[in-house]
Amino acid sequence: MRFRRYALLLAVLLMSLFLLTVQTRGGGPTRAADLVALAITPVQSLLANAHRGALTAWHTFTDWKTVQSENMALRADNERLRVQSLQVRETDQENRRLRRLLALRDRMPLATLTGEIIGRESGGWARSLTVNRGRTDGVAQQMPVIVPEGLVGRVAQVRSGASIVQLLNDPASTVGAVVQRTRTPGLVEGEPGGGVRFKFMARDGAGVVPGDLIVTSGLGTLFPKGIPVGRVTAIEDKGSALFHFAVLAPAVDAARVEEVLLLTGQSTQDIAGLFTPDG
Amino acid sequence: MRLSLLLMVFGGSLAQSSVVPSWSVGGVTPDLPLILTAFIALRRGPEAGCLVGFAAGLLQDVTGGGLLGVQALSRALAGFAMGLLPGRLWVGHPLVQIPGLVLLTVAEGLVRFGLLRLLHFPASIGEFLAHVILPQALYNGFLGAACVLAVELAHTLRGRHTWT
Repeated sequence: MRFRRYALLLAVLLMSLFLLTVQTRGGGPTRAADLVALAITPVQSLLANAHRGALTAWHTFTDWKTVQSENMALRADNERLRVQSLQVRETDQENRRLRRLLALRDRMPLATLTGEIIGRESGGWARSLTVNRGRTDGVAQQMPVIVPEGLVGRVAQVRSGASIVQLLNDPASTVGAVVQRTRTPGLVEGEPGGGVRFKFMARDGAGVVPGDLIVTSGLGTLFPKGIPVGRVTAIEDKGSALFHFAVLAPAVDAARVEEVLLLTGQSTQDIAGLFTPDG
Repeated sequence: MRLSLLLMVFGGSLAQSSVVPSWSVGGVTPDLPLILTAFIALRRGPEAGCLVGFAAGLLQDVTGGGLLGVQALSRALAGFAMGLLPGRLWVGHPLVQIPGLVLLTVAEGLVRFGLLRLLHFPASIGEFLAHVILPQALYNGFLGAACVLAVELAHTLRGRHTWT
């Protein structure tokens, strides 16, 4: 057994040495090598092709995975940037609103208090805003509430840390006003449908035309004179009725108001010039 | 069984020249036919190791374009020597198999280098050892370990499958 084992080793070694000797002496088993190569070359190329195909498939797969993960990362980045952009835009808009509000406050000849809207009631029965200023801040009932565009309403209820502001278009709201151009007096009332109308006394309409600006009259002690209330959009002629009504587009879009000024002081001065058309 | 051995040797040798080059790490490629020779020799003894080594070496000589017989001889010797170990060492454990494979690669490389030196191979042994033989021995060790783990896993899975 052991002899056979070493005989095999010897044979193999001799065979190898024979091959080497023949080659180094100038001759050579090139023919045999050629024959072996002829047999194995197709298999080699088949293996190489299969390997290349597998590598290509693998690279395609990894590329796809990479693209997919990149795509997901880019989508996430896009979402994040979009949110950031919205936040920046929001902050920018808030900044503009606050700047305008502060500018108005600085121009005002009477004491004011800034407030932030923390609640809204827009049902047909009542239309109001809740402001984060209350009794502890010195807010009192009936205080006018304004924004750079004009009158928002008046404080209807005061609580310890918040106040309810009755909006101009509340069905129970009434504000003494005049047509700025003609000084025609009347009352601005809220309508159950959400609109605002200017009820004026003169039967002939007193020359009020669409586009006229209605401002607070300053009669009484409630509202300072000259706060923009709205613009006339149409005249409603009720035929034989004693009064004519002017339909108003409110100066303030209460649905968009987020910060307000509460007028804590009093003034008899006409403050219409402090309000610009764009607020 | 002989057919499977033949296919392994044939496939391993051809893969060495077609597939294995793409596994190159820093210019070092493993020697798949030598790994196969070592494992076959450990399992089947020196005769099988010698014949498998000779055949694999001869095929590599042909596909590599070098002198016919150099690798055939060195691998036949390596296979034979590896096949003698089971009677002397406890070679069933991977912690013996893998260092054995590394040492075998070094020894085979040195034998091959010696043969080539006899035929006026110009490179120096130190350079060859540092840049070719030792890195390849280490790579063979890693690949051999991976093969051992894969075989163990396959055995475990097969055992679990038949048990259920």
